[in-house]
Amino acid sequence: MDSLRPAPNSDFLVNKKRVRVLGLSFDDAVKIFFGGNALVSVIVLALITYFLFQEGFGFFGQNHRNLLTYRQAGLEYVDYIRTQESAHTALTRYLSDLRLRQFNYATLEKNISPSAANESLVAFDDFAALYGDAVEPLRGLVSELTEQSTAIKTKFLVAEDKRVERQQLTTEGKIAEAAAVKIETVDFALEVKALTGTLPAYKELAAEFAKKLDAALVTAPAMPTPELKNRLERFRQLNSDFIATFPATTRSLETWDYTRAVPWYQAFSAFLFGREWLTASFWQDWYGIVPLFMGSLMVSLVALLLAVPMGVGAAIYVNQIASAAEQRFIKPCIEFISAIPSVVLGFFGIAVLGQLLRWLSQQDALAWVPGFPFSERLNILTAGCLLALIAVPTIFTLAEDALQNVPKAFKEASFALGATRLQTIIKIVVPASLSGIISAVLLGLGRVIGETMVVLLCAGNRIAIPDFTAGLAVVTQPVHTMTGIIAQEMGEVVRGSIHYRALFVVGLGLFFLSLAINFLAQKIVNKYRISIG
Amino acid sequence: MDIKTSFNSSSSGRSIPVTSSPVGPTLIDIDHVDFYYGASQALHDINLKIEEKKVTAFIGPSGCGKSTLLRCLNRMNDLIDGTRVAKGQIKIRGINIYDPSVDVIELRKRVGMVFQKSNPFPKSIYENITYGLRLQGRSNKSDLDAVVEKSLRGAALWDEVKDRLHTSGLGLSGGQQQRLCIARAIAVEPEVILMDEPCSALDPIATVKVEELIQELRTKFTIVIVTHNMQQAARCSDKTAFFYMGKLIEFADTRAIFMNPANAQTEAYVSGRFG
Amino acid sequence: MSALNRHILQSQPSAARRWEAAAVWLFRSATYVILLCGALVFGTIVFKGSKTVFTTTAPFINVAFFTEAPESLYVFEYQGQKREMGDREFRAFKAQHPDASNVKSESYVYSAGGIFPCIVGTVLLVLGSMFIALTLGVSAAVYLSEYATQGRVVTAIRLAILNLAGVPSIVFGLFGLGLFVIYLDWNVSLIAGWFTLALMVLPVVITASEESLKSVPKGFREGSLALGATKWQTIRKNVLPYALPGILTSSILGIARVAGETAPIMFTAAYVVRDKLPWEGLTSVSDFFFQGVMALPYHIYVVSSKIPQNEYTERVQYGTAFVFLMIVATIATSSILLRNKLRNRYKW
Repeated sequence: MDSLRPAPNSDFLVNKKRVRVLGLSFDDAVKIFFGGNALVSVIVLALITYFLFQEGFGFFGQNHRNLLTYRQAGLEYVDYIRTQESAHTALTRYLSDLRLRQFNYATLEKNISPSAANESLVAFDDFAALYGDAVEPLRGLVSELTEQSTAIKTKFLVAEDKRVERQQLTTEGKIAEAAAVKIETVDFALEVKALTGTLPAYKELAAEFAKKLDAALVTAPAMPTPELKNRLERFRQLNSDFIATFPATTRSLETWDYTRAVPWYQAFSAFLFGREWLTASFWQDWYGIVPLFMGSLMVSLVALLLAVPMGVGAAIYVNQIASAAEQRFIKPCIEFISAIPSVVLGFFGIAVLGQLLRWLSQQDALAWVPGFPFSERLNILTAGCLLALIAVPTIFTLAEDALQNVPKAFKEASFALGATRLQTIIKIVVPASLSGIISAVLLGLGRVIGETMVVLLCAGNRIAIPDFTAGLAVVTQPVHTMTGIIAQEMGEVVRGSIHYRALFVVGLGLFFLSLAINFLAQKIVNKYRISIG
Repeated sequence: MDIKTSFNSSSSGRSIPVTSSPVGPTLIDIDHVDFYYGASQALHDINLKIEEKKVTAFIGPSGCGKSTLLRCLNRMNDLIDGTRVAKGQIKIRGINIYDPSVDVIELRKRVGMVFQKSNPFPKSIYENITYGLRLQGRSNKSDLDAVVEKSLRGAALWDEVKDRLHTSGLGLSGGQQQRLCIARAIAVEPEVILMDEPCSALDPIATVKVEELIQELRTKFTIVIVTHNMQQAARCSDKTAFFYMGKLIEFADTRAIFMNPANAQTEAYVSGRFG
Repeated sequence: MSALNRHILQSQPSAARRWEAAAVWLFRSATYVILLCGALVFGTIVFKGSKTVFTTTAPFINVAFFTEAPESLYVFEYQGQKREMGDREFRAFKAQHPDASNVKSESYVYSAGGIFPCIVGTVLLVLGSMFIALTLGVSAAVYLSEYATQGRVVTAIRLAILNLAGVPSIVFGLFGLGLFVIYLDWNVSLIAGWFTLALMVLPVVITASEESLKSVPKGFREGSLALGATKWQTIRKNVLPYALPGILTSSILGIARVAGETAPIMFTAAYVVRDKLPWEGLTSVSDFFFQGVMALPYHIYVVSSKIPQNEYTERVQYGTAFVFLMIVATIATSSILLRNKLRNRYKW
């Protein structure tokens, strides 16, 4: 029947002539353009990974060479003896502490005048001096050896530089100049012999040292109280423990061999588990991430400890309790706090909060707080407080979202059974939104651990593992952080140097840490989402 | 067209499901179509001829595939991921609209659509009507003015809105909005207008107006309407197709479907026993 | 209590009620302590900073602070009078008073003059990076919301956006250093800073844009397509115009973030001090893009960490922090207000 009635324009459905370039219509091109832009995020993520790896990758090789030089130039050998010396220094510090206690006992409990107290301690001072001076010969040896091995290392590094120079000249085609570069080869065997040759002298010194220590200890005066007596006894114990380590040290020195290879994994383990981050030192550079990681961790913990109760509490209040008018006021305010730039918060920490906290800590009424009073105004606590202010809006917003997603029916059912508001919140609303709240906390942690300016300005920037023996007072110690060290040192390092690459590896660590936190947060949200239905 | 749905139970045991009696020329030929959403089959072997300048109603319970089939007719289903016509052809004037050479844009210009929820653009009434024309590059002011008036008159809306053509289309009442959408569709002069439950969101008075409009439009356009409301199908369609579970159960003159259904399921549905 | 007044639903004090009251107060105080802390930070900086920024005499604003470059401050005693002078002024003074040529003076770096170059630098950084971020971000969002079909590529894109949002800003700084500054050899420059900052806010812009696009009803798209519009015509005429206000509003929050970040520009764009303004001393157009700039956040970092705190340096420290905070706060507030307005306006 169709054929009887020819359509007015029966070819209307057939493709019209649309402009095509490379087989693509205009619409296809638009789609590809947008799709390409969407791919940028994937590309960026890949590029970040690539460049962090590219710049950081050489670190482990360089660190391996660094550790190898440490051994070959005999620095390791010297450090064995140096350890002994510093252990002795720790013991003398114990003695000065003991003196302070005796002094305090005399002045405070016995009400003896300070000068008289000092006089009564003359015998003890003599003993302490004797004990302290015993190390002098050993110290002399250490400084002598230090000079020698530093000289070896410098010689070696200069030779390496020359070698690089020659290679550069060769690749540039300047053969003659390259040949003119003089490279002094370092004969480690010969150089190191000068160090190891001191072994008999050391043995003598050590034996004498032990004798002197024991002899000094005999002169120790009696202590006035049982408590102090115990401390002196403890000191005797420490002393004999110290002397007991002498044979081990000697053995280490005897068996030390500069030719022993440094296993490749030590380049990694020295970074991952290294307890020292020491750069631009005349002696030996160490790149251990532990103090920085601990710093970041401690600051983040303090921040979360403050921010989680506040943020979640506020979210519960705003979502479940507050009136509509209050909500309209509080939400924008907290959003506003999130807009305060971190560098301004950091400045606030330096200018106001640090001093305020120190002043608070010095109030007598607050002396019972662990760690109070403290003298460093920039420390874990100061940075943690400010980071809490950064984390709170993140935690608040996400936790509030999670609470909002709890179906109203749950709440109504609970109320209908006669539960109070608090019971409903604790037993129904919070459990139902728990996964959301936990991921909010995790994302808050991610925000805090990646924050740079506040910790750079307010954490105190002392590169050391916090002293956990101080108990809770640990939070009043200054630390340095992973983000802070990058920001602080990246501007000053030579491109391509081991230090520069180490900073990139720290960045790589931060990057993967943030990815892991993100991943975990998503996992938790996805896993428990079903529970709400 | 004053067929009342009488529930006579003169059921017939005839096994032929399709009892069409074509009187007009076929415009759309749906030829043994299978349709899938991903892995699940939504339409099974649909075979149906839609006649020119007639109102064809698709009825059936929710999820029976009637809207799916309707959206196949202007390929709106292309917008949904994972949909495909696995078998068969849909031919308009003998041209398979799923053929790769077919320009879907041209197709949609010729096969207009009115949606369940009225969806005027948040523009003025005038801009709503001229949207389709401007897409085609027509911008002559007097030309457009004429089309706007013609379309609005065609949609029986002109008298109500002629004084406020440049106010937002969202300011109209629900029934007016739906008629605006119809006017917008007829402005581009399609041959077919597909209506996907056009009255389901309207109150009874607005529904009557839209139904009256459909009666007027049938002289110029071929109309396919999906409806939940059996009275509506009875009132305003010439032919009715009953779908169930993705299958076409019966297709016949509306009068026949409601007065004398050939199939027991059809009878059960039109008499309100299920659905 | 008389039997008349008692009934079975009589309200009675109970342990549960007391707990509830206590908990409510606990939650309430947590909320208001947060607001108090925010107010304390804000208040201190506004209070102390306004002393630098405003003056008691007309025009009531410290014009020099906004129009001059930072210079060193010299404090010295001359003829029994304590005087404070900026670098240039001090030299002129010494030229005028030969007897003052070897007067003893203390100098405080950056503590005199103003912060004009920093404001200029920050404005340039924000404008450029937001232009890049919006171009990339809106197109990516259009793809994800309008074109993308479920598949591996889209899953990868979404995952990447989600993870990119959590990457610390200092890592973006390192990345910018590695890619733009070193590999592409752009050096420390505006353009390196633009790209670093733009990539950092990209997830924010994409997420915000996609949300705005998703909130445009499906009917607009179907209606347009059913009238024979191509996909691009539909997006350009019937989707983007309605999503754009939302996109821009949400992106303002991204601007606040770009303006506020220090770590990413430390190695990529910021100079501690630069005596030329960005438009001075250019020999070609490309010079403009390949120059480093001073920036407010970095200047705050420098003045708060590299110079001691005392009555002379405090002025510039608080003043800079105040100006910076005000800029960011204005951006953030306008974003919040605009969004609330938008919410009320568009209800389809």
